[in-house]
Amino acid sequence: MASIWTLQFHSLYFPHRVSSTVAKLRTEFTLSQGRLSLNRWSTNRKFQLKAVRDSASSNEDQNLESGKVAVAADTKTKDPVAKFQETLISLPPVAFVMKRHTRSSFAIGLSLSTAFLVIVVRAFIVRRSRYNRPGSVEDLVRRGQLRSDRRGISRPLKYEDPFNNPLVKVGKSNSTMEMCGKVYRLAPITLTKEQQTIHQKRRSRAYQWKRPTIFLKEGDLIPPDVDPDTVRWIPANHPFATTANDIDEDLAQNNVYQKQGVPFRIRAEHEALQKKLEALQNEQKLNKLVIDSSNAKDFERAFKLNPKSEEPLDQNPFVNQSGDLRPPRPDQAPNGYDSNSSSEEMQKP
Amino acid sequence: MLSLIPSPTIQFKPLFPSKTIKPLKPFSSKSSIQSVLQWNRKPELAGETPRVVVITSGKGGVGKTTTTANVGLSLARLGFSVVAIDADVGLRNLDLLLGLENRVNYTVVEVLNGDCRLDQALVRDKRWSNFELLCISKPRSKLPLGFGGKALTWVVEALKSRQEGSPDFILIDCPAGIDAGFITAITPANEAVLVTTPDITSLRDADRVTGLLECDGIRDIKMVVNRVRTDMIKGEDMMSVLDIQEMLGLALLGVIPEDSEVIRSTNRGYPLVLNKPPTLAGLAFEQAAWRLVEQDSMKAVMVEEEPKRRGFFSFFGG
Repeated sequence: MASIWTLQFHSLYFPHRVSSTVAKLRTEFTLSQGRLSLNRWSTNRKFQLKAVRDSASSNEDQNLESGKVAVAADTKTKDPVAKFQETLISLPPVAFVMKRHTRSSFAIGLSLSTAFLVIVVRAFIVRRSRYNRPGSVEDLVRRGQLRSDRRGISRPLKYEDPFNNPLVKVGKSNSTMEMCGKVYRLAPITLTKEQQTIHQKRRSRAYQWKRPTIFLKEGDLIPPDVDPDTVRWIPANHPFATTANDIDEDLAQNNVYQKQGVPFRIRAEHEALQKKLEALQNEQKLNKLVIDSSNAKDFERAFKLNPKSEEPLDQNPFVNQSGDLRPPRPDQAPNGYDSNSSSEEMQKP
Repeated sequence: MLSLIPSPTIQFKPLFPSKTIKPLKPFSSKSSIQSVLQWNRKPELAGETPRVVVITSGKGGVGKTTTTANVGLSLARLGFSVVAIDADVGLRNLDLLLGLENRVNYTVVEVLNGDCRLDQALVRDKRWSNFELLCISKPRSKLPLGFGGKALTWVVEALKSRQEGSPDFILIDCPAGIDAGFITAITPANEAVLVTTPDITSLRDADRVTGLLECDGIRDIKMVVNRVRTDMIKGEDMMSVLDIQEMLGLALLGVIPEDSEVIRSTNRGYPLVLNKPPTLAGLAFEQAAWRLVEQDSMKAVMVEEEPKRRGFFSFFGG
């Protein structure tokens, strides 16, 4: 609540002598403002100090009258604003206090200067402790891993549009920019072609390496015409490497370059299975009538005939010599498989 | 490291036909370029296709597989056909990062053995149909080391001559270390991306690997600095990117900030370049992919500075 206070202090005229019997000083602060005036406050306790001069005069009386201070300490006032105002009223005006209490102003100045000194000392200690932190870049410089001449770059280098991107705007005054709440500056790359060449030469001197072409198990002998630098020893219990070369290289290369069709191993397994089945068939039919695979169509044609045909059983090729009439279906299945396999073989590229 | 995000979202309509061979299978992506940032142009493919790039580091756990997955998907999203090969024989991880682990039925070992064809071993990503994954082997199978490198060379040659057309990029995720797996992975590569982190152990291994790559004839080597903490660099607790470049002497392809979203994206099987809204690391990966396409390198890095203090009482903070 903003209220404009104007303090009017009627100066008291303190006589040099105080009456021994009565010493009352009554000062009165008159507060005038737009809203509030002191007159409406009720005072229960009044501190009255009256300085009695030797010669009481009407002027002094008037001065005393005007200098009355009514200190309101109404215990019954519960309004916090009123309490606050009462507190303020009880305080002497600042200007006069400062004039009177020079010791307190000195104390305030001293405390402010002490606080400033503490802040400066603290900042200095923090900065110093930062350099003494173990494991910093200084340790790398001390160990000779980093050059020390790069340290101490204080002024940011001015750089405009380093990415050749017209949407990147860099101020002309400085090269700093804010991004994601942090401030960055652009530091240009200083690596030159000559420096790169120097590093390449250094590495070529330091690292002499030949690509290993021979992989041997531990314990194997080195072939006589092989450079020992190109040999790499592989332990027998290596988790994912083996020196055993069970795969034919040409075959592997063909497998990699195959664009369509059935992969080699799948086809090989399929053919092996087919051969096995054929072998089983042939074995089972040794004791039976031999079935020529080239006449498979004839058999199919015979099957397609009217099933109610009255062909004699001895002429039926499906009939076993033992006389058992076999149903055509179980016999047709392997024949069908054979026909399918032959058709697949035809379709192979 | 990161450039400012351009404000306009401009759709790019290609004025000139693409020079690369268009695959017969239709892409799920639209004709306009798709990327995290709506650039006003498409990156121009430099070099001969297919670009066979090996992503290696030497030290394990620095982010090779993460880089392969995110850069690969960024390239696919920019409209290039990509085949990513996980050359880590014993510890296969790329399929996990891409969320394709349940779809890997055949690997290169099965192709070599004749159990399947090469196109049957390729796993096409359903999100971006121009991205395919090929794994070298299943964890329990053993690869004959005698022709591991040869086999991978055959695979690359077969991919070049396939019916759908040669892919634009073949990214090979190299295993950690410098033994047989590393030798197999770098055999067919023409260029290399070296992933490192700003710590001295990783840098030493990276330097060794760079020497081996140069001995093997790979000269185009660029560096990606991963897991960068700008606050630690500002506090002089971590080497800066310029310090790393001074030590290794390699051109910078990208600087990837430390991002907790990497772990979440790994758990989900969803690379973080596909996140919406994009993360800082995702933006950095996409920019690295852009530079890879154009065979460009970074010209400047961003260094964090102290923010300007304002207010009379700001110095009380210390």
